[in-house]
Amino acid sequence: MITIRIRYFAVLRDRRGLQEEHYHTQCSTVEQLVNELIAKYRLGLPSALIRVAINSEFVEPNVQLEDGMEIVLIPPVAGG
Amino acid sequence: MRFFLTHEILSPQLLDSPAAGGFATFEGKVRNHADGQAVEALEYEVFAEMALVQGEAILNEAISKFELEDARATHRVGRVCIGESAVIVQTAAAHRREAFEACEWIMDQIKWRVPIWKKENYAGRPSEWVSGGESSRPAEFEELYDRHIRLPEIGKEGQLKLQNARVLLVGVGGLAAGSLPALVGSGIGTIGLVDPDTVEGSNLHRQTLFAQSDIGRLKVERASALAKRLRHSIQCHPFPEVLTETNAFQIVENFDWVVDGTDSLDTKFLLNRVCRSLRKNLVTASVHRFEGQILTITPDGPCLECMFPDPPPNHCVGTCADLGVLGVVPYFLGSCQAVEVIQGILGSATLTESLALVDLRSLQIDRIQRTRSRLCRLCNQIDEAQPEQWEVSSPDEMPHAALVDIRDLSETPCLALPHKRIPMSGCYDRKWDQPTIFICASGVRSYRLVADLRSSGFSEVYSLRGGMQSLISRHG
Repeated sequence: MITIRIRYFAVLRDRRGLQEEHYHTQCSTVEQLVNELIAKYRLGLPSALIRVAINSEFVEPNVQLEDGMEIVLIPPVAGG
Repeated sequence: MRFFLTHEILSPQLLDSPAAGGFATFEGKVRNHADGQAVEALEYEVFAEMALVQGEAILNEAISKFELEDARATHRVGRVCIGESAVIVQTAAAHRREAFEACEWIMDQIKWRVPIWKKENYAGRPSEWVSGGESSRPAEFEELYDRHIRLPEIGKEGQLKLQNARVLLVGVGGLAAGSLPALVGSGIGTIGLVDPDTVEGSNLHRQTLFAQSDIGRLKVERASALAKRLRHSIQCHPFPEVLTETNAFQIVENFDWVVDGTDSLDTKFLLNRVCRSLRKNLVTASVHRFEGQILTITPDGPCLECMFPDPPPNHCVGTCADLGVLGVVPYFLGSCQAVEVIQGILGSATLTESLALVDLRSLQIDRIQRTRSRLCRLCNQIDEAQPEQWEVSSPDEMPHAALVDIRDLSETPCLALPHKRIPMSGCYDRKWDQPTIFICASGVRSYRLVADLRSSGFSEVYSLRGGMQSLISRHG
């Protein structure tokens, strides 16, 4: 079990009802984590539309999670 | 003739413009006091040859600036008594606003540019020549942009770059409320505005380009009126239409920078594709309640599809209309877009390889690095499209291809081979599914057309390298 800090933006923040949280998980990759969050919190977007950044850089879904990581979840935004 | 000088008593004339709905008349009369002195009459002296040329020029400029149907002005010369008109300006426009604005502008210009002097005849005191130019001199380039020119990062050279720049705003709403006045104020010389919508009451809390009295009017028309009021010299091109696959290439082609202020994911990804294909710069921003995103896409940097390989469906995340938005959020992001455009024109923009996430609740801005994705279909498609393969050096290379001469009908000589003649502008609305070679005078226009058509998905179109010139030199 690892603990990571998750930050939510835009529609994901609305749907999660939180700006950020410390999250305990068994997941080992970014992809697994995103799918777990989508299912658990009904985020309403497919994983292809949620981009993940770690240390201010976008990462690919197969990146390994590590204890204490901060990850940022970024959805598309439409308003203008 | 629109500008007249006369010794006769003035009265407004009827302007006959069936296309005009707004007629404004300004009369400048002689009043009975000046600076606390009683005035009995005025005397106007004029340098007539120059006055007539300048007056005529002012009225013609006003007609094109304010899109007037008609404009006329008459100035008295010689002695003019109290209560008589010294000058009358009349304008006719489709709507009242342009008529009013043009009237005021013409009057300011007359006072500044037309060589007319006035002498005030006071009661019980020698008369005096006074300056006719009561209004301040219209500000010049150096004065308008003095505080920019002082910045070492801009200087006069940079300011001229801004003046020569052509910037297209797609979506004239909340984001444009931040970007448009900033860009116009900064001295961008040419602005295009694309938006099919009219102003609605629910727009006004964030779309501060518009007043309550603008409700029901076309956004592009009100926004260009505002831009012209801010800077008379600006070239404004309104496009009251939706940006689509069909018109996007033709509109975007004429600009260097595109500012995406739409609230549609479809349009954002369309702009990404079009700007990519035409090698234009794009600053795109979006807002969501209290936050927003902004990034800049350059011809060789990472694009929107590098970040989201599958363009999201339009309504997957909601818009301002669904979710609400704090009014100043789009304004703030729009201002940031203007900063990106200005820095880009001057040298390099900041967000060409990153995405800024802006949260106005906490005033926190996060920047996420973006890189070009090796898997981006759009980037790969454009990189692979080798321009050489779009050209043929002779029609003989493709004996089965149809030949189309896209020059204007007036251009000669005629092509000696069997061909169709369709001027370039007529080529965009057709389907080109058979192999076709386009020919123009030198191969420049046909190449551009082929680039556009290929971006629209037609893969069997080619340009004749060197155009008619190459055929003539080859065949004598």
